[in-house]
Amino acid sequence: MSDAIDKAAGLAPDDALYQTRRLRPEFVEGAAQCQASVLTPETDQGLSTDVRLALAQRMALLNRDAALVQDYQTQLAAHQPSAALLALAAGEPVSDEPLATLARHADWVTLNPTQATEQHIRLLEQAGFSHPQIVALSELVAFVNFQTRVTAGLRLLRSA
Amino acid sequence: MIPSVNLKPLHWHPWIAPVEVDDATPAQREAMKVTPSNKKISEYVRTLVHDPESYTARTVLFNAIMYVEGGLDRADRELGALGASIVNGCRYCAVVHARRHAQLAGSDAVVSAIYFDRADALSSRDAAIYRFARRLSVTPSEATPEDIAALRAEGMDDAEILDLIHAIAIFGWANRLMHVLGHADLNK
Repeated sequence: MSDAIDKAAGLAPDDALYQTRRLRPEFVEGAAQCQASVLTPETDQGLSTDVRLALAQRMALLNRDAALVQDYQTQLAAHQPSAALLALAAGEPVSDEPLATLARHADWVTLNPTQATEQHIRLLEQAGFSHPQIVALSELVAFVNFQTRVTAGLRLLRSA
Repeated sequence: MIPSVNLKPLHWHPWIAPVEVDDATPAQREAMKVTPSNKKISEYVRTLVHDPESYTARTVLFNAIMYVEGGLDRADRELGALGASIVNGCRYCAVVHARRHAQLAGSDAVVSAIYFDRADALSSRDAAIYRFARRLSVTPSEATPEDIAALRAEGMDDAEILDLIHAIAIFGWANRLMHVLGHADLNK
């Protein structure tokens, strides 16, 4: 069965590369489990799925992954998102707190992980985020940056 | 002649208080695999287990990508991890995976060349892997079809390149945890 990574990379079940991916079922299944754990967890730590999807769309945009942007946009639309959340998802500047703090953190860690400092974690704490929320957010940010590299690599492999 | 790099293991310390084993919820204890004989859990695990679901899922995927049998040589996966860790600025991960590469390769020539900024001294195969790892790790990716062609020219098939893509990508993840949630130094 096709998953989000196949769809974003443009792989159909009869493509050779689709079959090559299936030589590593633990990677395919593992990525799906991880995606569920960061987007639709059983315990969301107070970070709801709509906020998670909006952040995921924003980070896919920073990675210039149009297909994943579209995928997250479609999933987000099913949650009747607020105007502020739609703006966050679309990569626009966000002024409402605490969404602004979330967006700033996700942008920074996606674009400049090298420059991350203690201050970035303190800003999340000051905006009222708990330690479980900070860890859950970090895993979400990190997951999207994993997923976009897998899809970018697959697209290159398909075209080269 | 490139000197041999001396990579002392670093210790990682979180910016937030880790979960204490005695205070852990049943789900956190399960995720940490706490048993009567295994009560000493690293700060890294105790930090991430604030969110046990994502910790458990990622650990399974990470271990598959870095340790699964067959396919891409394990030293090559470590080289991909090292390239990503350098681009993403995770000193801790870079040292761990440079040491592992040296151990698996039976030589520290490759990691010494990288640490002394002498990538020009790498074999064409190592150079192709390292260059692809660096380019794929940038946001947005700067990897090109020529990078893939260079890997194929070294005899790598699509299954091996796919293993490499995953090794690089999982460090786009791991680096963003370790380098963001804490810092590394020589002190325990």
